[in-house]
Amino acid sequence: MNAVLSKPWLRLAIGLVAPALLLIWWQWQASSGDVRSIAFAPLGSIGGAFLELVENGSLVSDMVSTLSRSLTGLVIGGALGIAVGVAMAIWRPLDRLLGPLLHAIRQVPLIGWLPLLGLWFGTGQGSELIVVSLSAFFPTMLNSYEGVAGVEQRYLDVGRIYGFGAFQRFRLILLPAAMPLILTGLTQALAFAWIASIATEILLGIGSGLGVTMQLAQTQQRIDIILVTVIATAILGFAVNYLFRQLRISLLRWQPASL
Amino acid sequence: MRAGLVRSGGVHPSGVSALLAPFVLLALWQLACLTGLFPPQVLVPPSEVARTLASMAASGELERHIGESLFRLGVGYVLGAAAGLAFGTTIALSRLAEAALSPLFMALWQVPVIAFVPMLVIFLGIDEPFKVAIVALAAFFPVALATFDGVRGVPRAWFEVARVYRTRLADLVWRILVPATVPAVLTGLRVAITRAWIVLVAAELLAADSGIGQMMEMGRQLFRIDVVLAGVVVSGVIGFALDRGAKAIERRATRWRTA
Amino acid sequence: MIVESRSKPAPEARAAARGALSINDLHKSFVIGGTLRPVLEGINLDVKPGEFVSIVGASGCGKSTLLRLIVGLDDQYGGEIRLDGERVATTSLDRGIVFQDHRLFPWMTLEQNIDLALLNTDTPKARRAQIVADHIALVNLVGFEKAYPHQLSGGMAQRAAIARALVTEPKLLLLDEPLGALDALTRVHVQNELQRIWMTQRSTMVMVTHDVEEALYLGDRVIVMAPSPGRIRRIVEVDLPHPRDRGAPLLHRLKDEILSELMAGPGETDNLVRLPEREKR
Repeated sequence: MNAVLSKPWLRLAIGLVAPALLLIWWQWQASSGDVRSIAFAPLGSIGGAFLELVENGSLVSDMVSTLSRSLTGLVIGGALGIAVGVAMAIWRPLDRLLGPLLHAIRQVPLIGWLPLLGLWFGTGQGSELIVVSLSAFFPTMLNSYEGVAGVEQRYLDVGRIYGFGAFQRFRLILLPAAMPLILTGLTQALAFAWIASIATEILLGIGSGLGVTMQLAQTQQRIDIILVTVIATAILGFAVNYLFRQLRISLLRWQPASL
Repeated sequence: MRAGLVRSGGVHPSGVSALLAPFVLLALWQLACLTGLFPPQVLVPPSEVARTLASMAASGELERHIGESLFRLGVGYVLGAAAGLAFGTTIALSRLAEAALSPLFMALWQVPVIAFVPMLVIFLGIDEPFKVAIVALAAFFPVALATFDGVRGVPRAWFEVARVYRTRLADLVWRILVPATVPAVLTGLRVAITRAWIVLVAAELLAADSGIGQMMEMGRQLFRIDVVLAGVVVSGVIGFALDRGAKAIERRATRWRTA
Repeated sequence: MIVESRSKPAPEARAAARGALSINDLHKSFVIGGTLRPVLEGINLDVKPGEFVSIVGASGCGKSTLLRLIVGLDDQYGGEIRLDGERVATTSLDRGIVFQDHRLFPWMTLEQNIDLALLNTDTPKARRAQIVADHIALVNLVGFEKAYPHQLSGGMAQRAAIARALVTEPKLLLLDEPLGALDALTRVHVQNELQRIWMTQRSTMVMVTHDVEEALYLGDRVIVMAPSPGRIRRIVEVDLPHPRDRGAPLLHRLKDEILSELMAGPGETDNLVRLPEREKR
């Protein structure tokens, strides 16, 4: 058995079995002719839907929209999260003041803020951006806090011995030592921002974006469009995460390879 | 060497601080309203939210919403977690199963669960089956991954120790394998329940006739900010309780672990 | 007529005043579990400038605490610690230290790690690069300037730490079990390096170690400490020229003496595992 599995092309073939079976089952359901088959669009029409979306440019513009929404939210929430997390780790009074409040706010599922934000700001792009930024804020804040608070005392000792002032301590010890966790926080935040973008797009359904298209297609019973969009979401999400991971590795060259 | 700056309280409140935190938040909230800073369309004091909650509880409405939400959560979670456990164990124990099933699994995992909502709505409508299905899906992935990690992660060395002492198969499974995988699996189960709750509230916001999420959406449409805030509070409290409960179970079951 | 000179001391005297450590009646206690436990008691020590002093003792005799107090990381103590007449109250570039874990910053290259020691000195930037290069050469690490600590072996990292400690030309260099984390072969190699560096620079060095042989090989004097509370049991003079010969009979005789003295303490039997049932049989 192991000999079979060790050949890469054979592994690939085995891996394709399940998806192939799924597609066959799908096509069979689509052509079965009973009431439920309306939900199953024939495989051919999925290809057609793909071409349709590419031709009218909506697939690309959706991908760009969702991506830019996630990245904007990541930048806003991430920057704020790093600033707040680092500040709270350095100044104890701030920690005592803000910490419990943020902890309490964190308990509410972020998506639950949408109706509230909808009442406050209307159901426009603003509310969406706030939710996406919030979803990026918490992981970066927590990880930045842990990163700075967890800096080992022995490195701070070295700083004391060489007479480091507060600014030197921050620039040369705290920040670089905290960087791995800060980047971890940003990686998590990216994933959360991505999910939050899709979620708010589905829920509010305005503007453009992958989630919006999915929601619209659902009201029109266009399962073929939904499928194309879902696949695009998966691919785009994977690609962005992969690129981010590479970026992280290059920023942390000083770490031993195993980390 | 432990950290120089870390301390309890703040971002990770423990014990008294953790319980005090929401009260501090409530107090600030009440204060903010009393100062008349916010018009009643924007923010309503906690006292009024409490009144709304009380009247909803009295009329049985609150109980109905919470009950419906928790029911869906329970059923969906059990289904999804069970499937996740089975799937994770299978692909961990059988290399063939892993080769055949994990590509499809990993591909599906790239899609945020919420993106499956439009698709599931077309297939299942907006009734109970849809909500149970989305919860099950949300619970499935973390549990499957954690189970896979847990079972795969049992060190070979432990198997060797068992062989040296000529352990019987039943003992091997119950006294070595199961306890070895329990920590990872419990973590996966905890992550799954928190995710499932968030996804359920989101799904109810979208399409439901009862439940906490639907209560909030209704409140938004009727411009009843007190109802929306009541929903926010309840979803936060339930989310908190689920997380704490799961953490407590996790701690009790893994008492033998060193930090 | 002889006019009494009130001018500054003669140059030799001034140079000789570099790095004279004097400790008088030093004592320190920690509060552990509510009770006051003395860690160091009645420490009296005078280290001449340019001398190499080793400190040995069992665990719990406060050796590391002593070094932390001298370097200034801890300022709660009773008694006096003075370097060239000035009381030690906080850290200073006059006193350097090498720890058992090299404590190089993992996110900086070797060069950057050594350079940071000079950040708060008056050295002009142009000179700094040269000084860093000189010290890298001193510890035989030429070619590894751009390496990150995780790319260096234990021995190399420790040599880098020594270079970093020496680059500020401190009056006093403290070494806290600097070779404890290295394997036996590397340890011998780095001991030779340390001796060579000391002979070149002649800074005052105080080294704590649990390796009696190492203490005798490197030190002009060996301070033997006793635990609970930490106090000086005996001071052994090692009257041999540098560079030392490891095979010298005097070294081995002194080592046997010191070891038997350390083993004769009241804590001797605590470390032995006893299986009473088996022993009866």
